[in-house]
Amino acid sequence: MNLALIASLLLAYAGMLGLCLGMERHWKQLASPRLPAFCRRLCAPLGGGLLGLSIHAASFVWPGGMAVVAWFGLISLGGLALLMLLPYAPRLALWLPAAGGLAWACVYAGL
Amino acid sequence: MKQKTLTQSLSWLHTWSGLIFGWLLFAIFLTGTLAVFDKEIDAWMRPELPTQLIDQAEAAQRALDYLAARHPDASTWNIGLPTERSPSLSVSAGEQRRGGGQYLDPHSGEPLEARETAGGGFFFRFHFTLNMPRNIGIWVVGLAAMAMLVALISGIVIHKKIFKEFFTFRPAKGQRSWLDAHNATGVLLLPFHLMITYTGLVIFYLIYMPAAMDALFDGDRDALFRELRGAPAEQRAEAGRQPTLAQRGEQSGERAERQNGASERPAGRGERPNGQGGRAGEQSRPAAEAAPLTALGPLLAEAERVIGPVAGLSIQNPGRSDARIEARPVLGNRIELTKGQSMQFDGVSGAVLRMPTESRPSQLTQRVMAGLHFAQFGGYPMRWLYFLCSLASCAMIATGLVLFTVKRRRRHEAEGAVGALLYRVAERLNIAVVAGLALACVGLLWANRLLPVELAQRGGWEVRVFFLVWLATLGHAIVRPWLQAWREQLGLAAALCLGLPLLNLAGMVRGSHFWLEASAVALGALLAWTCWKVGQPPQERPARRAAKTLAEAN
Repeated sequence: MNLALIASLLLAYAGMLGLCLGMERHWKQLASPRLPAFCRRLCAPLGGGLLGLSIHAASFVWPGGMAVVAWFGLISLGGLALLMLLPYAPRLALWLPAAGGLAWACVYAGL
Repeated sequence: MKQKTLTQSLSWLHTWSGLIFGWLLFAIFLTGTLAVFDKEIDAWMRPELPTQLIDQAEAAQRALDYLAARHPDASTWNIGLPTERSPSLSVSAGEQRRGGGQYLDPHSGEPLEARETAGGGFFFRFHFTLNMPRNIGIWVVGLAAMAMLVALISGIVIHKKIFKEFFTFRPAKGQRSWLDAHNATGVLLLPFHLMITYTGLVIFYLIYMPAAMDALFDGDRDALFRELRGAPAEQRAEAGRQPTLAQRGEQSGERAERQNGASERPAGRGERPNGQGGRAGEQSRPAAEAAPLTALGPLLAEAERVIGPVAGLSIQNPGRSDARIEARPVLGNRIELTKGQSMQFDGVSGAVLRMPTESRPSQLTQRVMAGLHFAQFGGYPMRWLYFLCSLASCAMIATGLVLFTVKRRRRHEAEGAVGALLYRVAERLNIAVVAGLALACVGLLWANRLLPVELAQRGGWEVRVFFLVWLATLGHAIVRPWLQAWREQLGLAAALCLGLPLLNLAGMVRGSHFWLEASAVALGALLAWTCWKVGQPPQERPARRAAKTLAEAN
């Protein structure tokens, strides 16, 4: 249950990061300039998908309605964490989702 | 006169209503944030009570033994069972329904003396009454909540780059940074802000909007509630009253039947002491025969199966053939706020007499909204989400308040004497409300451990310390230069938070409160960081200029 909670938080974070990278300003700030421009346009839908996975992970922790309530909190806090990481530790901000993917894989492998 | 645009008018509204009510709102939000963990704070404030969790059936048996020895003739026994959040066992005899009776050691059954304290409940009460007379406080808080809604909506309208600056935070840039922080916490947590403010208003719908009740029920609250519940009478009103026992049996049987279909009916009807029980009720009390109470273990297990974890039991007519046992669930087995729900058993046979009532849709709507605000559901993970989200809300209000003064710091001389005075007042009040309240809150915790245990009216003294500290911070904010005042108050609050675990040395503590103390230390670190940051700008000016030139070069 705790793993699912961590996974849903990290997925919410990764989703917000996706939305963030979809914006030109933050793409310039975070992404390598060598990456082609279409990658940026992929980021927002990808982020949306990750947010969807986040609510799925949350549904392992809480039953239906509560998971939705929690999900709003999770994406808000995920976004806030990203906001604080961006100016202070941009590299860490990019690498956190990798950990999220790992936790997510663990949750689904364990179920 | 030049015509103002909508954005300009709303901006004016946002600024001034935000400022005037912001002070009040910060106090409401901060105490509300702490009230998320009110039971945990309560437990911390009674260090004499053990925190080790124990099997409920075992604890209930200890409570029964104690009650049978001390109050064999009482008409009602109440037992507050240890639960995940409040691991203490308390008992009382008589009509008193709430906890706060005699604390018992759940292992030995011996009575425990806990200190008198304002408890975590103080934050909860302050959150919605501001420690004023209840109804006045509720009205003032309701007004502030309306102002919060106004500020939220106007804030959305006047925020020009709501999507473009969704993730933008530029630290160490003075006014820019304050605005960024205010915007980002406001926008990212917008669902939470809207939800918590609106549901806060919905809780007291009858106080804020009594017109329908006055028109349809002549202002009779009980009549309204009866209608809402859809049942002719409610057990609470007649709990423990003898003459209505037969009637109650009738109603509860019917209710169980209505709610749970025919399957519950045989259980309800068959096991109820039908005519005999009714007759016993109508006669004087001693007529009922003595009968041993059913074993509580299976009964608790059955109650837990139906209503989830159990918070407490009331036993009417213990030791007699017409004994009734009522089990109350802990709040938060579902989103709906289930205050006042219970399940009733026959005290001798242990049969289910009445299942918990299901709310009708209209009442369910209100109760779900109240439940969303009370945040009792979803266990500790959800509680932490609420806590962190409301901390961010506090940060939004605080940054907004600071932003007001930072914005005017440069141009207040141009606004004349009144403007300058107002600006100075706002600046000082900001310090006392934001840093001072944090200091007063942690001061209350310190007072809890440092005031002598034998002090009369001890709980009242703790509250007095809270307000005296708060008042002192106002005085301090007035006499000290503003930056020093900020730093000193934040620093002191940080030190008190960080030092909270040291208070365990001040007296005997049974049980451990690791999470509360760890959180206090974390909050202390946060306050210390804020204190350090507040002191930073003068040194960072050259760096900022460098960053700016760098940005321009890009």
